[in-house]
Amino acid sequence: MTGAFDLVPAIAVLPLVSFVIALFAGKYMPKKGALAGIAATAGSLLLSLWVALTVATGDHAGYNETLYTFVEGAGTFSLELGVLIDPLSSLMLVIVSLISLLVHVFSLGYMNDEGETGLPRYYAGLGLFTFSMLAFVFASNILMAFMFFELVGLCSYLLIGFWFRDEGPPSAAKKAFLVTRFGDYFFLVGVVGIFATFGTGTFAGAESFPHLAEQALHGEHEVTTFFSLGEQAWFTVLGLLVLGGVIGKSAQFPLHTWLPDAMEGPTPVSALIHAATMVAAGVFLVARMYGFYLLSPTALGVIALVGGFTALFAATMAVVRQELKQVLAYSTISQYGYMMLALGGGGYVAAVFHLTTHAVFKALLFLGAGSVIIAMHHNENMWDMGGLKERMPVTYWTFLSGSLALAGIFPFAGFWSKDEVLYETLVHALGTGGIQGPLLLLGYAMGLLAVFFTGFYTFRMVFLTFHGEPRSDVAEDPDPVRWNVKGPLAVLGVLAATVGFINMAPVKEILDVDVAYLHQWLDKAPEAYLTSVDHYHHLLETGAFAGYHAEELSPLLPGLVSLAIALAGVGLAYRLYNVPEPVEHTDRLGRAKTILMHNYYQDEYQVWLATGVTLPIAKAADTFDQGIVDGVVNGISSVSRFSGRGLRRLQTGVVSNYAALLTVGLVLLIAAFGLLGGWF
Amino acid sequence: MIPTQWYLLLSAGVFCIGLFGILTRKNALIFLMSVELMLNAANINLVAFSQQWGNLNGQVFALFTMALAAAEVAVGLGIILVLYRNFEDIDVTSPTTMRW
Amino acid sequence: MNRPRLATNLNLAAGVAALGLFAVMALVFVGAEFTDPNGFASGASIMEGIGYALFDLTGQFDVRPGEGIPSTESFLLAFELIDVVLVAALVGSIMLARRESDDSLRKTLTDGGRDEE
Repeated sequence: MTGAFDLVPAIAVLPLVSFVIALFAGKYMPKKGALAGIAATAGSLLLSLWVALTVATGDHAGYNETLYTFVEGAGTFSLELGVLIDPLSSLMLVIVSLISLLVHVFSLGYMNDEGETGLPRYYAGLGLFTFSMLAFVFASNILMAFMFFELVGLCSYLLIGFWFRDEGPPSAAKKAFLVTRFGDYFFLVGVVGIFATFGTGTFAGAESFPHLAEQALHGEHEVTTFFSLGEQAWFTVLGLLVLGGVIGKSAQFPLHTWLPDAMEGPTPVSALIHAATMVAAGVFLVARMYGFYLLSPTALGVIALVGGFTALFAATMAVVRQELKQVLAYSTISQYGYMMLALGGGGYVAAVFHLTTHAVFKALLFLGAGSVIIAMHHNENMWDMGGLKERMPVTYWTFLSGSLALAGIFPFAGFWSKDEVLYETLVHALGTGGIQGPLLLLGYAMGLLAVFFTGFYTFRMVFLTFHGEPRSDVAEDPDPVRWNVKGPLAVLGVLAATVGFINMAPVKEILDVDVAYLHQWLDKAPEAYLTSVDHYHHLLETGAFAGYHAEELSPLLPGLVSLAIALAGVGLAYRLYNVPEPVEHTDRLGRAKTILMHNYYQDEYQVWLATGVTLPIAKAADTFDQGIVDGVVNGISSVSRFSGRGLRRLQTGVVSNYAALLTVGLVLLIAAFGLLGGWF
Repeated sequence: MIPTQWYLLLSAGVFCIGLFGILTRKNALIFLMSVELMLNAANINLVAFSQQWGNLNGQVFALFTMALAAAEVAVGLGIILVLYRNFEDIDVTSPTTMRW
Repeated sequence: MNRPRLATNLNLAAGVAALGLFAVMALVFVGAEFTDPNGFASGASIMEGIGYALFDLTGQFDVRPGEGIPSTESFLLAFELIDVVLVAALVGSIMLARRESDDSLRKTLTDGGRDEE
């Protein structure tokens, strides 16, 4: 029996096989490829659980092997594909495969039962996406991570544009692809920079680039920097370049504009890709190379500020939305802001914790929204809903569980994770000196303010959708949903309520019991890989690197403050919207509402950047190409044509002319021979 | 005996007169006559060298070139007839269709 | 009948080439050095020699002593060939000169399409 680690590639290959099956044989299958997908993701889930179990109980809690070298570098770096299993990646594998399995089951209800067409393409897309995401998670080096990063972007494009015959989805798919591609351009430059600087792209081990960078800053290792920057400055540049891709993929400001439009895709796709997994890829990447980011406090500060700002920025925009999925989309952007804030603030465990809980409750909320959409005949406008609480109990209670988790209400999952994010940021903000501390404090303040908005918009959404009196005929008599919808909802509902207990850090602090299981889990990474929490903590506190310092503060007070603010938001929503006939209170915001509805005009701004800035530059480049480059080539050919046109007039067709030329040639020849031969 | 150079000079002179005719004259019949002149210049050359080396080869060869000249004139006149039929003129500068 | 007139439509510029050629050849020939010409035996019959050479009969007849027929190589093959060439030229010129029986095809299009329309 082979060990769990030898079968790790199979975790990703199984969904790839289901992709091929769905693509070629899907139209002959009863469920058009769904069963292949379900079988494949179930297999991946079992394998991931087994791998996680091996990591938990085995002697060696990790696996870092190169599987295939596709370019062997002679005297330079090699390009290879490999597998890296450590606690972080095995956790993520379980999350991804679990959510993917539940989404496949849900799709039976959302797509098959609703009589959608083109389903083989849909299940093939899901299979390909699952393959890419899983392979991205266990990627051992940054080039492989980049490859699968791009591939998940492609799958996102294919799945958002699933209903390509309508107007909206293809345009949204294009926008998603282009915006994330713009970020990925910087990522690619960063990857090349990393290879050029360190000669390797591996994430873990003594020869990994984070470790080499750390040694370079200690002065023990020589690296080549560019543009005559110092080593730490150059590492900051590399980190910020890779961050470009992260910002695009995880929909942070300013590359967040694609995510609300991505809601044009089917809801299971939104649940899988745009809530739980693909957007997590960016945050996961930062966590994966956290050892590298920790060497540069500037990069961490940027991450924290971007995250905190995005959290607040998106939360304000979610307040005025009318469609159900739009609220959830902005909520996703906001919550990923929290994760970035945690990473920037030095809370590695907090970020991973929030990633886990968010994957669960956001997927739950999206699937619940999908259930509501099925019931409402694909009408997403919350103002046409209402009173669904009695008519759809399973959906209602699971959705409520997810919403409580999202809003961060004790004791649901989101409370523990969001609270820890804010706590870690706060203690590092108060404890670190220089400019870093106030920056982190600013991030913390923005995150805290976003908590109020989160509570408000979440429960506005719940009350408008489920409470009150039905506001349309469809809401009075919604379509029933079957077990394939309710099953995943129930599973996720239970998880949303309980997954917070894996890392109750405040309880650990206050009661001094060892319940911070996630922290222990992430600390389990083998010493040699240098990816354990302990190692990161060491890097964090070293003055030459991040130079953070944690203030001694009890988690009780910050926790209570954030809980109070969340409850305040919920309370306001309760007062305004939990009435039989709610009205649009956000109209009272006046001009502010217009700005919020237009997403602070970010979309118009980006379009202007494309047409007003990029297009003229492209036109100038085109003129240069046509005029100068083509001009030189055409000029050479025109010389030949011109001279040919002149020379051909020599053929006059008159015999006497030919004879004359002959004679002249003869004279010259004889004269030449005579002079050379001395005949004269 | 006359030195051979003078014979060669005569031959060159007749040849160049023939060549002058070819280069300058427009009438096709005059063109043919000039060609005849050139051929005969070659004959003079042949005979001169026959005397120089005391060998009859040159003279016999001259006979053959005369026969050839006759044949060539016969065919040439036929061509001039065809030329006249197609271009209504025996000017050698008028048929210029085989050009650019 | 018009009497012959001095030609005035000459293209004299091309004639310069001919003059040039004469100049070069004259220069070469005048400066050439030859041994004394051999000539032929005083009483030898040139015509006989040419005749015998043409038909490859040299050395088959009695030679008058003191009046040797100059030796030469045989031209029998060339004689036959020139005979054939003359016949071919005769036939060819008659063929070229023959009028077409059908008058309508007399003037074929030889202007290369230039004079058309």
